[in-house]
Amino acid sequence: MNIIETQDLTKTYGDFTAVSHVSLHIPKGAVYGFLGPNGAGKSTTMKMFLGLVKPDSGSFTIHGRQYPEDRLEILKEIGSFIESPSFYGNLTGEENLDIIRKILGLPKSSVADALELVGLTPFKNRLARKYSLGMKQRLGLAGALISRPPILILDEPTNGLDPIGIHEIRTLIRSLPKQFDCTVLVSSHLLSEIELMADNIGILNHGRLIFEGTMQQLKERALLKGYPTDNLEDTFLALIDADNGKGVNGYESGIGV
Amino acid sequence: MKRTGFFPAFLGGGILAAIIPAAELFFRRDSYTTGDESSLSMVLGSNWQMMAMLNILLIVSGACIMYHTEYTDRGYDKMRCLPIKESAIFLKKVIVMTGMCSLIFIIEAAAAALCISHWFAFYPGFSEELLKSFGYFFLLSLPVILTSLLIASACRNMWISLGIGVICVFTATLLPAKSFVLSLFPFALPFQTLAGTTHQEILGFMTASVLETIILGIAELIYLKIRRSLL
Amino acid sequence: MNFLSLIGIETKKIHRSCILWILLVATVILWLPSIFNAHLNFEMQAEGISPEHNFFIQGFLGMAWFMYPASMVVSTVLLNQTERSNNGILKMLALPLSTVKFCLAKFIVLLFLAAVQILMTIGMYFISAVIVTRTQNYAFLLSPIFVFREAALIYLSSIPMLAFFYMLPVCIQTPIFSVGIGLASIVPSVLMINTRAWFLYPMSYPFYYITSEYGKLAFRLDTFNVALVPWLPVATVLTLVCMTASCFRFGRLKS
Repeated sequence: MNIIETQDLTKTYGDFTAVSHVSLHIPKGAVYGFLGPNGAGKSTTMKMFLGLVKPDSGSFTIHGRQYPEDRLEILKEIGSFIESPSFYGNLTGEENLDIIRKILGLPKSSVADALELVGLTPFKNRLARKYSLGMKQRLGLAGALISRPPILILDEPTNGLDPIGIHEIRTLIRSLPKQFDCTVLVSSHLLSEIELMADNIGILNHGRLIFEGTMQQLKERALLKGYPTDNLEDTFLALIDADNGKGVNGYESGIGV
Repeated sequence: MKRTGFFPAFLGGGILAAIIPAAELFFRRDSYTTGDESSLSMVLGSNWQMMAMLNILLIVSGACIMYHTEYTDRGYDKMRCLPIKESAIFLKKVIVMTGMCSLIFIIEAAAAALCISHWFAFYPGFSEELLKSFGYFFLLSLPVILTSLLIASACRNMWISLGIGVICVFTATLLPAKSFVLSLFPFALPFQTLAGTTHQEILGFMTASVLETIILGIAELIYLKIRRSLL
Repeated sequence: MNFLSLIGIETKKIHRSCILWILLVATVILWLPSIFNAHLNFEMQAEGISPEHNFFIQGFLGMAWFMYPASMVVSTVLLNQTERSNNGILKMLALPLSTVKFCLAKFIVLLFLAAVQILMTIGMYFISAVIVTRTQNYAFLLSPIFVFREAALIYLSSIPMLAFFYMLPVCIQTPIFSVGIGLASIVPSVLMINTRAWFLYPMSYPFYYITSEYGKLAFRLDTFNVALVPWLPVATVLTLVCMTASCFRFGRLKS
């Protein structure tokens, strides 16, 4: 069963098409990796799910609910981490989370839990603007996880983290579906990273979905097309390259669809 | 500075200030009586307080925005890493701001000239008086430019620099105009007009303005040095 | 999410912002000249106003004309920048929270800051009146009921102005325009109160009110009488228009 589904989702800014006829299918309980080069439209798509950007055409359902009618209902189910860092610099990490906690109506203990989960407990009384990039990133993640939501939308959560941090967060994300029974939509521009986290992947390029399916299906498709398969990074690059060569109008749906 | 709306804002502010004497003359032409004063000094006498207030507020908010664009998104930290002196950044801002102020003074002078030609008549020595008046205003506005930029450069948060600026403007409006010493407060200087001021006082104000400008410039340099050493 | 705790959250967001200090310093500066020039209050008999009333009214005139409106423009900048400087608003909008409630809660915080400054002004009035009573050997203290009543009416009359100031940064994304228009709009209120269309200009309401009170206290001075019609209906409509515009625009990202 798909928990998030989109149909021909499109968003243009002036003459620039950020997202073009994207139809995603995100199964419940999976970690779905959203992959694509910088500026491919990943963030825009995720922002549309959160009602931060209005789609020009197309529609999406989240848990069977429609936007914009059920905006608040949708948001109640989503923990999000978008375009970090977004926080209040004059407040401490703990106070930042407390604001989110109050809005979501959670028990007081949830703040400490969330801080512990991302390893920020020792720094909870420091002003958020004095945090390092990695700490801001963790604070954002804590804000997404605090309510243990059924759906998590994470936009490049490992940006700015050191290798140990990346490993920690990756392991955390990997464990989330089992731990909290949730679905995770996570974006990245690195296939190697998505590979280690995701069950399903969707690849965006120039706003178009050029592949959707499992990792296995991606490899099969690469073999079929004669792309390199021993190194996934090369597979990804070949895929993007081939798509760029086709020009903007050469839309082709992925085999996993 | 691009796309911050800085230039249109100054242009708009200048035009707004320029409308004041015209509007006043339009509604209250009758209240003007022919006396010993020249028509220009009458027009400025009844309108300059408000025009100066607008100019100062424009300078204060302009200065806040100039440094706000630097501080948001850490642009200023980037600038610090480039091989330019912080004092050079400040100096550039002073130059831009001074240029903008000249622009608004030109607009206001043009408006004053139009008002005179429409409601009164040009008279011998008018252009000289106009130039003198606005040159005087310009000179007396320099300390405000320096002070506002100094405050703005010191505050990361725009509301704090704006708040301090607003308090300074407010203080200036409270100072009694009769007292020469109190009128030397940088934010009070631009309210001065040539008319009704003795020759000696005019000289005093001009000297004070130049001195304040130099002192404020040095103060900023010292401030930047100290801030850098505290990093 | 109940509205009261949302207001609590919005108030929390301005922690450590120094705004209260700015408001306080402005208030202190407002009363200093009145303390130093207290003897001038005895020279106002020509207008037919008693020294203690003159002392009170001069201070409140200064507040209503520039200090209070300008401080409120600064407060709106604060409310806006706390959301925008680190993108906090993005997180807020991604939470299940009605944007209208969010917008109204922020406006309440502005009303709260306004009330704080008015209370500070009252506090400073009493302090300075006590000082002046000592230095001038004349009872300058007025009845607290009178003082609070006047202050409360100034506060109420300023709500449409606050709604207008609040709308500016919400609707105008470029800070220099919102700040510039806010500050510039204060200046003409001196002109506006002398026109018949003063009630169309919310920025002049508090100043108009206190000037008319001046006229009442100084029996030889002819100012104006506050006519509630068409003032009240116009003020209500203007407030509603500003608030609707704010709520409508609030949180709309450039998309």
